[in-house]
Amino acid sequence: MFLQTVGFGIVTASILALAAVGFTVQFSVTNILNLAYGDVMTASAFVAYVSATAGLNPWIGMITGGIFGSLFSYLLNRFVYTPFIRRGSKLFVMIIVTISMSLILQNVMQIIWGPNFFTVPIPAGSSVRFLGMIFTTSQIVIIAVAVAAMLGLHSLLTFTKLGKAMRATATDPELARNCGIRTKRITDLAWLLSGLLCGLGGVALVIDLGSFQSTTGGEFLVPIIAAAILGGVGQPYGAMLGALVIGMATEMAALVINPEYKEVVAFGLLIVMLLIRPQGLLAEVASQKEVAA
Amino acid sequence: MSTAWSFYLSTVMVYLGVNVMACLGLNLQYGFTGILNFSFIVYQAAGAYTAAVLTLGPHTAAMSFQRYIGGWSLPFPIPILAGGAVGGALAAAVGWIALRRLRGDYQAMVFLVVSLIATSVATNDVGLFNGSAGLSVIPKPLSGVVGMSLVGYQWFYVGITAIFCLLVYIVVRRITSSPLSRSLRAVRDHEQAAAALGKNVAALRMVSFVVGGVIAGISGAVLVGFISAWSPGAWLYPETFVFFTALIVGGTARNAGAALGALLVPVIFLESTRFLPQFGPPGLIDALQWVAIGLMALVFLWFWPRGVLPERRRIIALPTLRKESEREGAQA
Repeated sequence: MFLQTVGFGIVTASILALAAVGFTVQFSVTNILNLAYGDVMTASAFVAYVSATAGLNPWIGMITGGIFGSLFSYLLNRFVYTPFIRRGSKLFVMIIVTISMSLILQNVMQIIWGPNFFTVPIPAGSSVRFLGMIFTTSQIVIIAVAVAAMLGLHSLLTFTKLGKAMRATATDPELARNCGIRTKRITDLAWLLSGLLCGLGGVALVIDLGSFQSTTGGEFLVPIIAAAILGGVGQPYGAMLGALVIGMATEMAALVINPEYKEVVAFGLLIVMLLIRPQGLLAEVASQKEVAA
Repeated sequence: MSTAWSFYLSTVMVYLGVNVMACLGLNLQYGFTGILNFSFIVYQAAGAYTAAVLTLGPHTAAMSFQRYIGGWSLPFPIPILAGGAVGGALAAAVGWIALRRLRGDYQAMVFLVVSLIATSVATNDVGLFNGSAGLSVIPKPLSGVVGMSLVGYQWFYVGITAIFCLLVYIVVRRITSSPLSRSLRAVRDHEQAAAALGKNVAALRMVSFVVGGVIAGISGAVLVGFISAWSPGAWLYPETFVFFTALIVGGTARNAGAALGALLVPVIFLESTRFLPQFGPPGLIDALQWVAIGLMALVFLWFWPRGVLPERRRIIALPTLRKESEREGAQA
């Protein structure tokens, strides 16, 4: 039972890692706290649902969901967020703009699909035993996608010029621009990249949950924010670590206390973290950006 | 005026009073101090819940169909004042965690999470909050004492709401026209500068946050006495966003703006859609309403970011400088 819970924890942590890393990259490189993130996840899940019910392979549906998340995030920034920033909207106002977009997206999805629950049709594959843990095929795929995405992101950030430019932009945009980095292009790429993770995370989430509706992604924002803050916002590796901690802790709590309290446990961890170490677990960049005032 | 219209009008006026109180409270936090409190509705709900359990009476046979904490039947103003106290205490607890060391956008994230979690706890914890069913048949304050007709009591309640609204206005007005408000606005506009001038930024934020929490609690308590029902589903985080939209439309950092916003958005806009003919599947009109509220906020932020009644420019001429320039003018 314990090992099985660890298995669930790994699956939850994988989904959370996809979502939280995307969230934190978006926030650190673009400096916009996008509270519509969860709703873009839901929208990507609906795209995967539509393409899967249209007869495409559901795993191709996951890819279309990811691509949709990527493009949609880019367009959201291009046509909503950037114009508001150009108009001189300050930090507060931008947060209200993103939460307006969240509300609009969520309710447009409600208008299109109603308050019903949907399921992405995934064929029940055979289960796999591994170290005493049992995984379904879809869970294995989710873990594989998450690991691949994390390794890919790691190599991008460490080994490529693009990744270094991204890190530089996140740390100090003006200095980066003075060094000849085209920060606007880097920001666009960050939206595409974080949107991809957002979309993949959204599809993975609804495949794991089994069913979803227009509010699913918005509600998932709680563990995402908890994982991101736990790791130190703006820290991709911190978010991975945070996702692992939150994923494990919530599944353990579901075993020991009550599955209804998964989110509450994530919230409790967030509160403890804010009280003892508000800058997050990994905090070098965070301290430079004055996360904790 | 027919009885039906009188009944309806009095209902709308109570809603207006409650929304004006809430907008004044949120305006103190957001408009004057720059705290993005996305959990405002939670303090309102807490105040409402407190007032409800303080009037419902003990768990006797009549109330055994619902479960709640405690259960007293205290006389009229006490439950509402206690609602304010609980709203303030909850704000103090949340503020103690979120306001001390975090930057503004992180605070916003934490407040949003607080709101989502509060809904989840209240819905799941049947023992404490009776789950998603919530509380019902909450007695109306003084309804047994005054012995009025249904419509008469409605207008009596408008009076109660007006009194609390006035009290809240006086308190907010005292704060916003005092030097304290200048410090609050300094914290909002330039935190570091305010700190450099010796202002305790965290304490100032805390004052504004807790006062806002008390006001939220009172407004919730007044509302729950009127509608005599409470359920977690009625206090979700988008409701807070309605107040934000009201402030953006009416004008932030100005009490008249907050009151105007409360009239325009939650009352006139949301009430007028009630008269639309029903169309489409259930829930469609609600969803369209939310889209409209979101768009309204975006449109105002784009075209009129300062709202209908913009914040007054406070320009203080420096007396010595002016004298020198006058002197120069005289010499020339």
